[in-house]
Amino acid sequence: MKSRETGDGRWEMGSEGMSSRAGRRGIAIIPAKGPLSGRRRSLAALGMTLVLGVSPAFGQAGNAQRPAAAPAPNAQQPALDLTAVSLPIPAAGKLVAITNATIMTASNGTIKQGTIVIRDGKIAAVGADVPVPAGAKIIDGTGKYVTPGIIDAHSHSAAEAINEGTLSITSMVRIEDVLRQDGISLYRQLAGGTTTLNILHGSANTIGGQNAVVKLRYGLPVDSLKFEGAPPGIKFALGENVRQTNHTLQPGQQGRFPRTRMGVEDLLRDAFTRAQEYRHNWQQYDAKKKAAKTASERAALIPPARDLQLDALVEVLEGKRLVHCHSYRADEILMMLRVGKDFGFRVATFQHVLEGYKIADELAKAGSGASTFADEWAYKMEAWDAIPYNAALMAERGVVVTINSDSDERARRLYQEAAKAMHYGGASEQEALKMITLNAAKQLGIDKRVGSIEVGKDADLAIFTAHPFAPNARVDMTLIDGRVFFDRATSPTLEQLIEQMKQRKPHVASEEE
Amino acid sequence: MNGNWEPGTGNRAPLPSRSRFLAALGMTLLASVAQAQAQTGTYVIRGGTVVPIVGRRIPSGTVVISGGKIQAVGANVQAPQGATVIDATGLFVYPGMIDSGTELGLTEIGSVPGSTDTREIGDFNPQDVALTAVNAHSELIPVTRVNGVTTVVTSATGALMSGTAALIDLWGWTPDEMAIKPRVAQVMSYPSSGGGGRGGGVGGRPQGDASETASRQVRAMRDFFADARAYADVKAKLAAGGSVPNAPRVNQAMESLVPAIRGEMPIIFDVNTIDQIRGVLTLADSFKLKVILRGPRDAWRVADTLAARGIPVIVGPTTQVPGTDDPYDAIYAQPGVLAKAGVKVAFQTSGASDVRDLPYNAALATAYGLDMDEAMKALTINPAQIFGVADRYGSLEPGKVANVIVTTGNPLDVRSNVKYLFIRGEQIPLTDRHTKLFEQFRARPKP
Repeated sequence: MKSRETGDGRWEMGSEGMSSRAGRRGIAIIPAKGPLSGRRRSLAALGMTLVLGVSPAFGQAGNAQRPAAAPAPNAQQPALDLTAVSLPIPAAGKLVAITNATIMTASNGTIKQGTIVIRDGKIAAVGADVPVPAGAKIIDGTGKYVTPGIIDAHSHSAAEAINEGTLSITSMVRIEDVLRQDGISLYRQLAGGTTTLNILHGSANTIGGQNAVVKLRYGLPVDSLKFEGAPPGIKFALGENVRQTNHTLQPGQQGRFPRTRMGVEDLLRDAFTRAQEYRHNWQQYDAKKKAAKTASERAALIPPARDLQLDALVEVLEGKRLVHCHSYRADEILMMLRVGKDFGFRVATFQHVLEGYKIADELAKAGSGASTFADEWAYKMEAWDAIPYNAALMAERGVVVTINSDSDERARRLYQEAAKAMHYGGASEQEALKMITLNAAKQLGIDKRVGSIEVGKDADLAIFTAHPFAPNARVDMTLIDGRVFFDRATSPTLEQLIEQMKQRKPHVASEEE
Repeated sequence: MNGNWEPGTGNRAPLPSRSRFLAALGMTLLASVAQAQAQTGTYVIRGGTVVPIVGRRIPSGTVVISGGKIQAVGANVQAPQGATVIDATGLFVYPGMIDSGTELGLTEIGSVPGSTDTREIGDFNPQDVALTAVNAHSELIPVTRVNGVTTVVTSATGALMSGTAALIDLWGWTPDEMAIKPRVAQVMSYPSSGGGGRGGGVGGRPQGDASETASRQVRAMRDFFADARAYADVKAKLAAGGSVPNAPRVNQAMESLVPAIRGEMPIIFDVNTIDQIRGVLTLADSFKLKVILRGPRDAWRVADTLAARGIPVIVGPTTQVPGTDDPYDAIYAQPGVLAKAGVKVAFQTSGASDVRDLPYNAALATAYGLDMDEAMKALTINPAQIFGVADRYGSLEPGKVANVIVTTGNPLDVRSNVKYLFIRGEQIPLTDRHTKLFEQFRARPKP
């Protein structure tokens, strides 16, 4: 009963990403009109290949072709299922206006009864006195709250695999290579207003794999997920997970280096020393190649052996690859900062960073962001000093702070998690909102594109039924690039499902016995 | 307020009133005396919006607390002499919230086995008493209560029969002092052959033989109940002066099931899928059990049946992903569906370190159809009724135990804070491990 959504923070349970995987098999159930409960098994079996292959036209036509009478629960299901396997792929919004809404910009306060004009997927205008251009598709925002699309700074969704956990250095592996249209889980995150994910490699290794930043363009081919132009990054990890202290070694299995926090530092310094040497060798080779006077002289030069592990680390050394470092305790964070300083790179973000509040000044001084949980604690020894005031206290001391999910579950309600920064430590409303929007964009180096409602930025927006921090707030609509990727009005809901079941008497009778 | 001795509770005093208990046992422990004295404090909370849960809200109301109990609630209440006055102008007064399923006090740090007592070896341990292992000084307890959760059900879970749960207030020097009902219910898990997303099966057995395992477990469970029924019958016969040849000697496991098999003690069934729910209903019919469903995903499918049969449902945690093929809002929307059908609903977090998030679990349900007032009931009077303590808990009414929170707003709203906290009429400091670390490091000088 008590097994919980587990993510990076709880990797020791050996289930990183596992819980989400169950959700990945499935697909969205379309609003529809069939006896949803009756198709559960076949839907799962059909899997998501259908989602990807279905065009919008097919989706609509399919609905239209729905048989008028439902078959018996177990008869001929696939025929019915085909009508309902894909969400309509949203039309590209050429010109859209959200009118009369409360607009929480995340950068410039809140606009009451404001209008947002979206042109070709970008925010063209925002304000209280913005005229609605002729021909715009209107989304009536009366009584609604609009926020920037939520950015989850720590996710493990949409990836086929999370942890290449065999080596302590796996900087050569890339999440990008195993991205997939992740089925229902991505849709459910959209339904929580989330639009961008930082998909990180797991925390099994001190130097993990390369991350991928994606937009939740659910329903489009997998190539469409990638956030074009987002700076590349890499996952590092410290503490209990990489030390494997919570693993039970199988008989015959050997422990892996490093086993202590001292060993972790050694591993990092060794890796970056090798990376420096590798870079030096390449620089020498390049210089000689440049200095070569003849083609035969050039041909005689032998290039250094290419090393994919070190390539990524050289990019870190050169500031071209952002380091996102899983961490808990203050001491290990300080160690990482020292290593970064000694090798001349900034750690872009510390992830989890549950003791960040103890060394907030050091984080601020180093210019490292902090991406933390709202109130998780006590799940392992290194989370014992975690406090929910962490986010607010670090922000107070000048750190760029985000609150992340690290979970397919929390990613559905990051707005509620952000409000905890107000509850614990008294962050302002805008500061709390920034922790799931603009600050995340800054940490990922995509703040020119997303993170706030400003002219020129991508029209990635969440429309709430109430103030996003209010207890009964629900997402009504989620837009990415001005396209509606989630709309509660056309989404299959429990209420709808119950209604359908009631209408199908024989079916209900069998369900109810 | 009477000593609420349960059948078969052995020597545990439930301690509704500490002073009476101490007097009865003739104890003179200094610390306890000091606490007993604190309990006699008289408080007047006035000027706030009083939300008594039972009865209408009072815009500018007064709540009087004395002798550990609520003495008066109303718009025009005389303040007793010498009372400590708490100005609640602009604030809200609610009863303390109740979490209907936790492991609080039984675990400290999840990954440190030495700190957890949540799962005994073996499938059948109905004789295990959760209260035995409740660490009254767990750091998790103050962290929970400062957020307005004053009372919890705590127990081991995960076995087919995990033993009895305790209903405890989050205040007291010993487990006994915390207890409201030392043995409030048996906790059981109904076997699952998988499905419904997470959590299928008991004991993490491989999926392949899950179905076979489940049917074997159901059979074992039924056998166990049948034995308990026979044991209870023999016991009744002996008690009536009859003689039974080869009467059994005392069997702890059977003994512990007697109250449940007689329908005097409810059984909390941790379930998930519709198959498990149906299984529980069948078991309840076979053995005339008083059952409570906890944690189901599929209860909405049989909401009307559950309402008609008066079976309460403890929902949650709502912070889960729905089953693979369920609508995206299934978990959030289920509590509203159940409440509308007339099912008595309460909430659980099912955790320990996150019990403080109880009101936010309910908040998610209000966004998807659960009425806000119903949600507050599901955190207060409903669990009090489900666990048979509604005469003492769950609302702000004269004579009830003074578990009272004074908040800056709706407790379901994450932005609200608890300003004052009373448990059994004692004002509890709003400090915990987290506030201490916060203050400590907030005061750290710039390096």
